[in-house]
Amino acid sequence: MAKIELNLSLNRVEGDLEIAVELEDGVVSQARTVGTLYRGFEQIMLGRAPRDGLVITPRVCGICGTAHLYSAVLALEQAWQLPVPPNAVRIRNLCLIAEGIQNDLRQTFLFFTPDFCNPRYIDRPWFAELMDAFEPFRGSVYRQTLALSRKAVEIVAQFGGQWPHSSYMLPGGVTTPPDLRRIIACRAVLDEIQRWYEQTVIGAGLDDWLALDSADAYFSWLETPAHAASALGLLSRSARGLGLQRMAAGTPHMLSYGAWCDPEQPQDRLVPGGFFDGDSGQIAPLDQRMINEHVRHSWFKPYPGGLHPSNGETIPDFQPNSDRYTWAKAPRYGDRAVQTGPLAELLIGGDALIESLHALEGGNAWLRQFARVRRIAYELVCARRMLDELSVDFSQPHIFNPGKSAEVDGEGFGLIMAARGALGHWVKIKDGAIARYQIVTPTAWNASPRDSNGLPGHWEQSLVGVAVQDPEDPIEIGHIIRSHDPCLVCTVHMLDTGKKRHFAP
Amino acid sequence: MIKRGSGGVRHILCFGNPLHGDDGFGPAVYRRLAELPQPGDLRLFDAGTPGLSALVLFQDCCEAVIVDASAPAGQPGKLRELPASAIATEPTAVGHGHGVGFLLRALAALPEAPPALRVVTAEAASVVSFRPGLSAPVALAVERTVDLLRGYFEIEST
Repeated sequence: MAKIELNLSLNRVEGDLEIAVELEDGVVSQARTVGTLYRGFEQIMLGRAPRDGLVITPRVCGICGTAHLYSAVLALEQAWQLPVPPNAVRIRNLCLIAEGIQNDLRQTFLFFTPDFCNPRYIDRPWFAELMDAFEPFRGSVYRQTLALSRKAVEIVAQFGGQWPHSSYMLPGGVTTPPDLRRIIACRAVLDEIQRWYEQTVIGAGLDDWLALDSADAYFSWLETPAHAASALGLLSRSARGLGLQRMAAGTPHMLSYGAWCDPEQPQDRLVPGGFFDGDSGQIAPLDQRMINEHVRHSWFKPYPGGLHPSNGETIPDFQPNSDRYTWAKAPRYGDRAVQTGPLAELLIGGDALIESLHALEGGNAWLRQFARVRRIAYELVCARRMLDELSVDFSQPHIFNPGKSAEVDGEGFGLIMAARGALGHWVKIKDGAIARYQIVTPTAWNASPRDSNGLPGHWEQSLVGVAVQDPEDPIEIGHIIRSHDPCLVCTVHMLDTGKKRHFAP
Repeated sequence: MIKRGSGGVRHILCFGNPLHGDDGFGPAVYRRLAELPQPGDLRLFDAGTPGLSALVLFQDCCEAVIVDASAPAGQPGKLRELPASAIATEPTAVGHGHGVGFLLRALAALPEAPPALRVVTAEAASVVSFRPGLSAPVALAVERTVDLLRGYFEIEST
């Protein structure tokens, strides 16, 4: 039996992510996701003033800093029981959406589709068309994505002054009120992105696209020239032609915290969250008390079982030459390994097309990416709604500034859907300072290592069984991992065994 | 000393990570340049290691000067002024943590014409992760770079 060990460096963000897979007769028999860098944001937060989280935690990630800021401010508002004016929630949502559109466009057309430009696919019927659209730095869609994704985050800059790493959300609201100039500027950006999305990405109007509600309807649509020639049509034809709709289901369980706070009822979400039980097919209401993190296979000070984040600890304890292999922890929902991201968000949120496609083929690499592109439609609709509502009355407050006396000791958490999925911050304040701070990122869920029960995380499960045609160029693994939008810089985290291969398209 | 052109806003973008040895060259130059009186038509940035997020730093200027460390090649501390075309794209072609090579190719792929580009590099002695501080030759290159760029900081009297 041929047994080969590969150590893949995806090097997405400063080389923080490595994936070690074992091949047996060309098929992945075991996989480990390895966070190579200890980051320690949770330890950095200890003893600091509670508001420091609003400046420090947006630095966790260069892509989703708005999401971290949003989670951090929600956690403080819960701990201090602060009301938030509706316009502040609208501005927060608008900025989070802008960051999400930026990520969803870049992830799809700068990171996922370039893998299809691999010379291995030169004989495929779609290859020439695909190169025209997706070839790095030359393809039309690739180049347009560079320009438009840059433009999307101008919306954040309107309210936050800069992107990334902004700190414009404060307990009780935001720093900058809406005004006509900002609203017009944001509308102009959204109009341009929506026009391009309709004409180039889906080849149809937004309403027609969102009205699609079944797998059959989509597959018929895929045969129409307008969609077949669109960027998503091309992605679907090539990905499905390679069989990605039968690959990499991973764990069947999914988690969403729900997308975008309701301006009138900020504790509610405009797109509902929950837990999708992949065994029963049922969606249960979200119960954050079910969340816990294990360190049995991680380089952290050991503790038995899992700890809820409000009692969690992230104390580094490097133990080489052991069965521990990562600087990432293993989050679990109850005892379930889950996946999170746009697929979970739309499935749990009730998108009929995603429900139908999932019912037909289950979770898979193509559907994950497809859901990311579909989510952009929801993002555009919601962003426009936020702008419309903001335009009604600019004089409404944008912040209920709490007095110093409101900053009491207590506990809180902030749960939102970041671009990559479920993001949570948990804070405990004692004697006016942060006594405990835990962050569970989307990639921590997806790229989790094995837990105390030996249960592998989602990526580790999704890679097992994948046939690798050429170990010198394991492009199949690239498709799968990129369909999860990897970003271990968010979680944190070496493997010095095996043959190391740098993975690139 | 590099002579600045006339008219228009100029950007000086100092790239690098001070936690990683000589990769901190750009930020060290930034700190020194930030001590100089700033003309109204000059914007100075500690650009860090932002990947595509840095595209915005090339907007709204007629010229952009990139300051960054270059890979070790036997002459540590050697200053070079290079054309943007001489900067190689990093071997991994996707990702948001990309270096200046990726950024420059992305910039060239945008629909609008990029600003005039200048690239000033100091050759690193070595690349050591998570060891702050510059090697002696690169530390010396910092002051020479400040002298090289001093012309951008000349404030014209009215």
